[in-house]
Amino acid sequence: MGLRRAKALNPDPLSPTVPGTGEAGPDLGAPVSLSGPERSVLSALRSIETLPIDEEELPRRCGLDADQVRGSLQRLRSKHLVVLEEEHQTIHRLTPRGEATRATGLPERRFLSALAERGGSMTLHDAALTGLSQEERSAAIGILRRRGLLAEGLPFRLSAGSKVGADLLPEEVVLRQVAQGDPDIDEAILSALERRGLVRTERRSRKRWAPSDEGRRLPLARGGEEEIGALRPELLLSGAWKERPFRPYDVRADVPFVTGARPNPYVAWLEEFEEVLIGLGFEQAEGPLLETEFWNNDVLFMPQDHPARSIHDALSVEGVEGHPPRADLLARVAAVHEGRPITGESQPVGAGWSGRYDPTIASRPTLRSQTTAVSARFLARQPAPPFRMFSLDRNFRRESVDASHHIEFHQAEGIVGEPGLSIRHLVGVFRSLSEAIGIRDLKIRPSYFPFTEPSIEGYVRHPTLGWIEVFPGGLFRPEVLRPLGIGVPVIAWGIGVMRLAMVSLGANDIRELFSDDLASLRGGGT
Amino acid sequence: MPQSVLSVERVRSFLSSPVSDARLTDLLFASKAEVEKLDGDALTVSVTPDRLDLLSEAGLSLELGGALGLARGILRFRVDPATDRSAVFEVDASVDRLRPVIAGYRVRAPPGSGLDPGTLEEAIRFQELIHETVGRGRRTASIGIYPWEKIEPPVSYSLETLDRVRFVPLDGTEEMAATSFFGTHPLAARYGAYGREGGSCLVLRDAAGSILSLPPVLNSRTAGESRVGDRELLIESTGTQARSVEESLGLLLVVFAVRGWSVIPVPVVGPGPRRDPGRAAVAMRSVRLPSRLLGEMAGESLASAEVVRRLGRARLGVRPQAGGWRVEVPPWRPDLRNPVDAVEDVILAVPLSPEGAVVPPSFRRGRRRPETMFRRRVATDLIGLGFAAPYTSLLVSDARVAQLGSTSPIRLHNPVSTEFAYLRDRILLSHLDVLAHNTRHGYPQRFAEVGPVVVRHPSAESGSETRYHASLVVAADPVGFSDAAALVDYLLRRRDVLAVREPSELPGLIPGRSARSRVAGETVAELGEIHPSVLIHLGVPVPAVWAEIDLTTLWTLVGPREAA
Repeated sequence: MGLRRAKALNPDPLSPTVPGTGEAGPDLGAPVSLSGPERSVLSALRSIETLPIDEEELPRRCGLDADQVRGSLQRLRSKHLVVLEEEHQTIHRLTPRGEATRATGLPERRFLSALAERGGSMTLHDAALTGLSQEERSAAIGILRRRGLLAEGLPFRLSAGSKVGADLLPEEVVLRQVAQGDPDIDEAILSALERRGLVRTERRSRKRWAPSDEGRRLPLARGGEEEIGALRPELLLSGAWKERPFRPYDVRADVPFVTGARPNPYVAWLEEFEEVLIGLGFEQAEGPLLETEFWNNDVLFMPQDHPARSIHDALSVEGVEGHPPRADLLARVAAVHEGRPITGESQPVGAGWSGRYDPTIASRPTLRSQTTAVSARFLARQPAPPFRMFSLDRNFRRESVDASHHIEFHQAEGIVGEPGLSIRHLVGVFRSLSEAIGIRDLKIRPSYFPFTEPSIEGYVRHPTLGWIEVFPGGLFRPEVLRPLGIGVPVIAWGIGVMRLAMVSLGANDIRELFSDDLASLRGGGT
Repeated sequence: MPQSVLSVERVRSFLSSPVSDARLTDLLFASKAEVEKLDGDALTVSVTPDRLDLLSEAGLSLELGGALGLARGILRFRVDPATDRSAVFEVDASVDRLRPVIAGYRVRAPPGSGLDPGTLEEAIRFQELIHETVGRGRRTASIGIYPWEKIEPPVSYSLETLDRVRFVPLDGTEEMAATSFFGTHPLAARYGAYGREGGSCLVLRDAAGSILSLPPVLNSRTAGESRVGDRELLIESTGTQARSVEESLGLLLVVFAVRGWSVIPVPVVGPGPRRDPGRAAVAMRSVRLPSRLLGEMAGESLASAEVVRRLGRARLGVRPQAGGWRVEVPPWRPDLRNPVDAVEDVILAVPLSPEGAVVPPSFRRGRRRPETMFRRRVATDLIGLGFAAPYTSLLVSDARVAQLGSTSPIRLHNPVSTEFAYLRDRILLSHLDVLAHNTRHGYPQRFAEVGPVVVRHPSAESGSETRYHASLVVAADPVGFSDAAALVDYLLRRRDVLAVREPSELPGLIPGRSARSRVAGETVAELGEIHPSVLIHLGVPVPAVWAEIDLTTLWTLVGPREAA
């Protein structure tokens, strides 16, 4: 019997007979459902004759702990099954120090008594013998003088005309009222006693509960069975869930805030861009972010006194010692900088730069300012042509951060090396890249980079921004390739991808790419 | 990019044909100059650093004339021999330690004319631009312009004691002592170090004892002020490098050559072997242009007539020779020194068309580095675990390093701000920022990032090593050490790695609740509960745990297996 009834209440989702059978399932639309503790609390309230009843009384009457009762009452109240009468009370109590003072007398009373004992006059020395502490004496003298009872100056005397007898001081009156629970108290004196640490004030609210009319009428049990709240493993495994009804939940109640995760939009964009390069046959390379000046500049035929290498533009570090590259490579690079023939060759590669090449500069660490340094390291390994390399990575420049500038920026660097390459091939790569990012209009203009000749820049026409500069590139100069031992032409380009990403992702501020706002990163709002 | 404001009317005055603003803009886009702004007569132009000549009205008009087909070939100017044997620079050896190079020439106006206000203004403006670019802020080269009629040659260049030197500065009216000048004048404060050594300073003085200038700081007013109407000028450049001195003089020459002024080199005499770049500064150079190199780099075979036409358009001289051409280059084109430089001028003399481009064929698909793929897989795992993915900078602030109590990050020598002052050695330093920036959002918060860190490595070439880490943070109530440990264990287990956790005191974490995970003695992860003192600084009201896996180390352990 019990089994059949339980089936009706908790239809087995695996049973084909239940759906659509018309058997009564749990009444999720029922207006009121009670948990076990709620039922106990409501039942107890209904059984009490003198209502409302203090909240503190209920745990004992329900057999529940205070937290369970408190939570149940709040839930019952939200279901309009109980009503609350709340009184806010202010209670003044003597502190332990106040209790002691009431027994021994206020310091000012004790001071007056000592004065009376000494015939109405007391020296400073005598005052020290009254048994009052220094702090108590000071307080007493101050109070008595403010009240006009004690004359100014020494020895201590009562003021002319003042009478101090058996009449209580105002503070003594208030202390007595506090001790007796008398509510009609002088607030100013009370505050003064609070400041002296003799009285403390507590503000309490007294909660008293009674069942509402609805709470009195509500049937409290379904056939005497306790409803199942959370489905616990023991209920599941024992099969006890079949014997008891499920308590319907308030499906409109607040639930915990759940968040998910998704790839960072900028990182995802960079990875998509990498896919374009991979599709065009480029293989990835990486290099250190903290480089030496040799790889960042010298090997790229950047003159050692180039303004971009100055302390105003390049970021250097403290407390790190760099080392020169292998000696033969350093010597070859030094030769092209000075316009001398490389050892073993009869003619200089080019005219070089003015001034002597300083090998100590080559060893200085510097934050990488261009991904071309990665290309140089790749070429120094003398890859067999044909080769295609890309590096999409961070670089750094000494710039203040604002909406369009950042100290850290991304470049997509690419090189292609094989016999017969020309400037037309570089333009061809630009065209492939622009088409890959969905832009067909491309135009080329002359440019300049110390390490490429010819140097060009590709502009693409964006639908809303118009012509934007996207593709700087060129053919590596002989002064770059010969010291590295590369015998084929190499076309090179380095794209400032952050600008492209901003356009693509609809970002108006470059700082949006360095995103750490979790609300937007995880999606689903805050 | 170098930039200057030119007079567009002066540019147009050199051209024999009217040019609209739009046409001007288009023509310059196809050159190494670009119109930044055109406002009335003020034409703001930027150029690539190799074509500073285009930042003078004279140089720009030469370029435009060629582009418009109004003029072709190299501009020739008259070089007269020096007939006055006393018209030399007499150099004293005392200058050698400080600023050894000097060179110069005289420029003489065409008969019946003299220095006009426009030419004077252009020369002075272009002179300052040369100082800041080729002259590296007057350090390697600086130019002086003087009225030759006021000078009694020869001109001596020497280091003199300050107490012997008195002159009227160009911008003053009273004679003053050099000691006072170097102590008070703003230009002396800026450039004085290049022309002063102890109690002495560099002086250019004529035979009458008049001071022309205190190079490289300022001319004198008496013998060093050029004025409208001057018919002959002395132009000199002093510096530390002969090439810079030569380039600076060559560039300035365009201002006078375009206006038909003739040039007379001024010889340099003095003790020892002394290079005189003055003659080189006014001489035409020649650069070889091999036809084979041109064909290879252009990707097409150009007819000789086309090469000549293009170089003429670029205002260069050209004559055929065996195997190619010889290109004649004026002094104001210091960028043209090597065959590849000449190739560029031919290729870029006409706009490059994308239609003529050739896509180099590739017969294989590219690929990422296996280690990068590995890092991406870890990042994907973290997203699968529900970690939001911030993207943070490698550079971190002073404040975060101090809060974490970390001592090992590398500090920038010249940071722009304290916000970007250190290279992080743990991503945690960046993730403290993420925690601080998100206190307004609800908890729990879970975020993770795979990214680079830079750590000290004394034996490495740059004294450092770039490594890659995966950092994760969970801020929640409750969360504890075991949550971080479970995540690290999972991420390692995904790579078939079993690590041993060892207690370890780590900066910023609660002692006794931090650890390192090791595999075969190598640390692969650090983890623990973030110390309340750090959380309070950040304004985080809930406990937080952190773990950071060293993917570079992990890759060395699992790389061969992962790559397979």
